[in-house]
Amino acid sequence: MAALICEIVYRGIFQKNLASRIARGIVLSARKSGRWGIAFGRYGDSPQRNGIPAKDFAIVADTNEELEQNMARYEPKHVDVTICVDDTLAKGVESWAWYGLQPINRLTVPNGTVLMTSIQSFGELLKDIHRKDAPYKLALMRAKASFSGLWVYREDHTEVRILGALAKIAPAFLSLDGVSQAIAEMDWGSDLKVASARKAYERLETREVTMAEGNPEIPYSFEMPKWWEMREGVTIPAIPIGKPKEEGKGYVPERNPYFKKYTTRTMRPVVNFDTCVKCTLCWIQCPDSCFDVMPDGTYDANMEACCGCGVCEAVCPVENCITMVNESVFEDNASQWEMWRKDKPAYQVWLTNKIGDKQATVRSHGFRFRGQYEQELKTDLDSGGVEITAGIPGENAQHKTV
Amino acid sequence: MAESTTFTNATQILEPFRGVKKVTLEEYFTSGHRTCQGCESALVMKLMVKAAGPRTIVLGSTGCMYVANTTYYTTPWVVPWMHTQLGSSGSAALGTAAGLKALMRKGKMKAEPINVIAFCGDGGGADMGVGAISATLTHKEYNSLILLYDNESYANTDIQLSGMTPYGAHTTFSPPGKAKRIIHTRWKKNMAGMMAAGHPECRYVATVCASYAVEMMNKVRRALTIGGPTFIHSLDPCPKGWDYDPMLSHELGELAIETGIFPLYEVEDHQVRYYGKTKAIVEGRERKPVREYLLKQGRFAHFTEEDLEYFQKKVDEMWEKWEIPAVVPFRRLEATKAALEVK
Repeated sequence: MAALICEIVYRGIFQKNLASRIARGIVLSARKSGRWGIAFGRYGDSPQRNGIPAKDFAIVADTNEELEQNMARYEPKHVDVTICVDDTLAKGVESWAWYGLQPINRLTVPNGTVLMTSIQSFGELLKDIHRKDAPYKLALMRAKASFSGLWVYREDHTEVRILGALAKIAPAFLSLDGVSQAIAEMDWGSDLKVASARKAYERLETREVTMAEGNPEIPYSFEMPKWWEMREGVTIPAIPIGKPKEEGKGYVPERNPYFKKYTTRTMRPVVNFDTCVKCTLCWIQCPDSCFDVMPDGTYDANMEACCGCGVCEAVCPVENCITMVNESVFEDNASQWEMWRKDKPAYQVWLTNKIGDKQATVRSHGFRFRGQYEQELKTDLDSGGVEITAGIPGENAQHKTV
Repeated sequence: MAESTTFTNATQILEPFRGVKKVTLEEYFTSGHRTCQGCESALVMKLMVKAAGPRTIVLGSTGCMYVANTTYYTTPWVVPWMHTQLGSSGSAALGTAAGLKALMRKGKMKAEPINVIAFCGDGGGADMGVGAISATLTHKEYNSLILLYDNESYANTDIQLSGMTPYGAHTTFSPPGKAKRIIHTRWKKNMAGMMAAGHPECRYVATVCASYAVEMMNKVRRALTIGGPTFIHSLDPCPKGWDYDPMLSHELGELAIETGIFPLYEVEDHQVRYYGKTKAIVEGRERKPVREYLLKQGRFAHFTEEDLEYFQKKVDEMWEKWEIPAVVPFRRLEATKAALEVK
């Protein structure tokens, strides 16, 4: 008598179809393993926004009664397995209907499992994942984050590999044969996909995480006013006007203190202030107003506000002046301009290192042209271990349009 | 004096920004909204109020720019902002402008020109609210600007088809099937042309695209300066509904203009003036083929050569057959043309 509760934490829209395939796959695998299951999304995440973290849930139970018992709640408060399909979510989740930052392992029960798709090492991930007041297991499925759009799906087998890995983590609920059978019967299933799931089952890497391991930072949080503290007409105070950066020069806008948006980011802009021609394009074209104007006329992307869309890289006319780099290689949200001002040669070394590492930097947000996924998948489809530099070559310079 | 005004119709005189370096640094729509990565509509909000300045009231009808911006007791707005219902951006603009005027006339607030801008999405503006917008554009004694931010679908509720969705696009209401590939077979409405042609006392209608930020802001400034009810139609690439990598937002805006699918023009006192890349097209520069624009978007991923040809043909028609190219689809009969020439 027991139930298995899973959450799937994913990037809104980019992984919406992926997450729903995983959630449905869990339920159908449960049926093939002789159990009951149900899958549902989180109400507060809808309507989803590109990149903003979202969640689906899947519950598997031994009996129908137990399943109903677990369905009789708005959303699970504790989960046995947290499935995270993008490793930049390891830094925490600020979903759009939630206040503050939640660690990725927040709902995971003691001795539960966080299953993550990643090409990073355990040690690198544990620099990002917040500490938990109980031990748990971290399981890694070696893969790049699979991003696609609302209409065109990227068939890189990520969904079936997760299902195979889950059979390894929770053998009491899902048998590998049950998972294989479910995949074969799915309208998007195939024999090749069954083989991928079985490989993932064998290749899953797991390690215990103690209470002392992980990122010691306290995630940011705040108190919202209670209903009796709200103003007449439920009006909200406006954001104050911004101020010059220093000595009357530059400009730093005030920002919404209750929604920072940086956990939406999967890539961040790295700015070369030495080659910047102060053309203003990144600043004026940024939909999130994340560029602060510096006293010297350059623009510093504020890492609390930047959501990593990459428009700045696209509009910047100078080669390699703004380069989008995989968020996972950064450890804080510190100002790049301040770092540059303090020690320019050291900043150049840091910058060259960050933008030069193509293994880490290459990452695609989604659909760029018809036929793109087919091209990428040629190198991707060993599915047991994905070629990590596959993707779009020469992310920056070759795609300049301005 | 045929004027029916009982109080001043004065507006703020907002000179155009002469170049991108002259644009004000202050932000009146700031960070911390819950829009998608690469949201062009959020950029439109930012540029719209940057152009309008601090003495501005903004009204927003339901849509992404309401739900995603002002959710759960938080806001990115620096200027006063109020929500209004889906179809009522026109009514809200008119009511607010009239209310301000009355309060100033009665001496209940300091008399000064205050910009009133109401924005609406393509669902709220071009589908549901078109009646109210039309009514507002006939009230020439009230100064208000209605800005339609057009992302070509009901994007907030996860991409349902609107009257502004282009031919053949994939939406939740028009998924391409195996037996029938093109489900949405209607051609998009021509909102700016309709508003300009149908409201003789509206002095200013313009189309804009945020990829050309300074020109876009200057159109907003012109609309607010000229006074009376004015209308601006903005085409906003939507990474969620159009299905493209968010970093392409800017490029897709440019491509929409360069392919001639979306023309940039202003109609001031009934005179049509093309500007930017559209002006170059009118003066003879070749339009880019529409496929360059369409095949960068997942919503057109099911298009075959035949569909691309049809789309191209319809766009060619706009430029070659319309009396005022890409603005109004009227065509004079040959006989009428001849008769007019004889006179």
